[in-house]
Amino acid sequence: MVTDTSSSFGPKYSGGAGVKPPHEATAQAGAKPFLLRHPSVLIFIACLALFTMGVTILAEGFGVGAISTSFVKTLGKTLCLCLVALAMDLVWGYCGILSLGHMAFFGIGGYAIGMWLMYARTEIIVAQSLAAAPLPPTAQEISDGIATQIFGGVGASEFPPIWAFAHSLPLQLAAVVLVPGLIALVFGWLAFRSRVTGVYLSILTQAMTLALSLYLFQNDSGLRGNNGLSGLQNLPGLDETPQSVVSMWFFWASALALGGAYVLCAWVVSGKFGSVVRAIRDDESRVRFLGYSVEAFKLFIFTFTAVIAAIAGALYYPQAGIVNPAEIAPIASIYLAVWVAIGGRGRLYGAVIGAAFVSLLSTWFTGGQAPDINLGTYTIQWVDWWTVLLGFSFVAVTLFAPRGIGGLFDLISDRRAPDRHGADLGPDAGALQEKEADK
Amino acid sequence: MSALLEVSGVSVSFDGFKAINNLTFQIGKAELRAVIGPNGAGKTTFMDIITGKTKPDEGRVLWGDKSQSLLALSESQIAQAGVGRKFQRPTVFEDQTVADSLMLALRKDRGPLSVLWFRPSQADHAKVQELADEIGLSAALARKAGELSHGQKQWLEIGMLLAQDPQLLLVDEPAAGMSPSEREHTTDLLVEAAKTRAVVVVEHDMEFVRRLNCKVTVLHEGSVLAEGSIDHVTKDDKVIEVYLGR
Repeated sequence: MVTDTSSSFGPKYSGGAGVKPPHEATAQAGAKPFLLRHPSVLIFIACLALFTMGVTILAEGFGVGAISTSFVKTLGKTLCLCLVALAMDLVWGYCGILSLGHMAFFGIGGYAIGMWLMYARTEIIVAQSLAAAPLPPTAQEISDGIATQIFGGVGASEFPPIWAFAHSLPLQLAAVVLVPGLIALVFGWLAFRSRVTGVYLSILTQAMTLALSLYLFQNDSGLRGNNGLSGLQNLPGLDETPQSVVSMWFFWASALALGGAYVLCAWVVSGKFGSVVRAIRDDESRVRFLGYSVEAFKLFIFTFTAVIAAIAGALYYPQAGIVNPAEIAPIASIYLAVWVAIGGRGRLYGAVIGAAFVSLLSTWFTGGQAPDINLGTYTIQWVDWWTVLLGFSFVAVTLFAPRGIGGLFDLISDRRAPDRHGADLGPDAGALQEKEADK
Repeated sequence: MSALLEVSGVSVSFDGFKAINNLTFQIGKAELRAVIGPNGAGKTTFMDIITGKTKPDEGRVLWGDKSQSLLALSESQIAQAGVGRKFQRPTVFEDQTVADSLMLALRKDRGPLSVLWFRPSQADHAKVQELADEIGLSAALARKAGELSHGQKQWLEIGMLLAQDPQLLLVDEPAAGMSPSEREHTTDLLVEAAKTRAVVVVEHDMEFVRRLNCKVTVLHEGSVLAEGSIDHVTKDDKVIEVYLGR
């Protein structure tokens, strides 16, 4: 197909509707590569790469050791939160579906990878302890041993069926993607085809995440009830490798996932698909009369973002070390929406900035590092008051800066609407004035 | 002449109120038709039924050569079958540029995956340019739709409809809020469009309808009161009674 590109611009292409154009003719505007047409993506990737290199050099694992391993983990986790915020921005900021359940998919991703981590590591420990026995242990004995280790705490000693694939890393990795993807597909199909929109859909997603969390709290859910899965920071068979090194691996993986997902999301929302999705956000029924099946597009975005959220979760929980049902509580998904709102909806970097900024600030405030404020009769302790501050910030951003932190970039770039000092917008006298056109 | 759209015996009621009552309507393949009627005559409901927004209680809506029933199709399927609709209030996507809006409307495969892989060809860009010339917005291609004047928004919406290349165009009060010169332009656009397709214009304004110079259907209380040329219907006693007061 690679021919002289200049020739294809010569004769007028008479393809007409429905005929696939030759590849070379992919538009004058499309002649430039994707990244050059979207400089913000390039800038983001460069910033992420610099940040990753900086942390690598400063961290204990491979660098000078100025950053503690626990802080590397915090940063790695933050990258995962940025990743799930990216998904939230796609589904809410671009498609207008205020899902308050995406942290459920995040949690499921964590559970899926956690099952393998816990199983494989316990298997090694059990095998070691049984190795001393005079007779080599049977497969059944090993399995029982693992089950007793894992489920002793919740009063069971047999593997529930849900653990059937826990021995296999590839299968559990597939589960990270498939289980949330399937749940999102079924849930989304049921919700969207009934045309549930707006606040009703938000409530429905909250109900979904609450139901899932309550189910997981039960001991007989087969996922260790409120104990959740723990010890996830220890990779099976790598007990010799210090956490400072393992933490860097996960940090790199998180950065890579965030960078990759960012480019992918930017690509998805760039061309016509992004146009359709934003149109759905702004006027769903109009899009229907244009002939687009709104439900199919919503379902695509909902499922796609659920999978991104799950991948983020699968990278997050090995760094956190523990996943339990409280992580799936409805409030987690509301926080996610708050991050995206504060960062700026409808722009990908806004979501990333919001998630990084608010979650790191939250770590600082709730970690007891923020100095308490003594008001004489009452001392403001940030550990308690941080959520109040966050709540007020959310209200303030919603009311006074709907574009969020990302809106600051508009001040320096020329994304602002042209200011013609109140002159008419149209060529005709009496056309709308600028102020009215903003409405 | 075989009909493109055949609506027969359609009735629909909302909470006991009969919005459409045993309505029968036909339009040919390249025909301009004005539908007029006082408020509450069922004009908008009539359009809602054709475009699939409202399902009638009884009656048939048949479409095209194969006489396919539109009643079983969803809004997006009906739009894909070739029915385009323009709303009374201009509904353009304020956040998107004129070029993007037209590209969005261009007749192409509408499935999510083919849209995801879609990249505009030169022919597509040329088509967008051509449409923009037609609706007088070629200088505004890079402007956001929200910045356009009211009349320009109306034209953009008409342009998006033409981009869809529908066989039947339903246009709800296209001249509302337009200046006299804009009205004239709109009349030209509609008359031109009706040379190759069916166009149904719902309008209050008698002067505008007179300028369209086409067959007129008068709706009253959900059914057809009179049909014929504008001179014919304005002389009709029943129409005078309904329209001009008894």
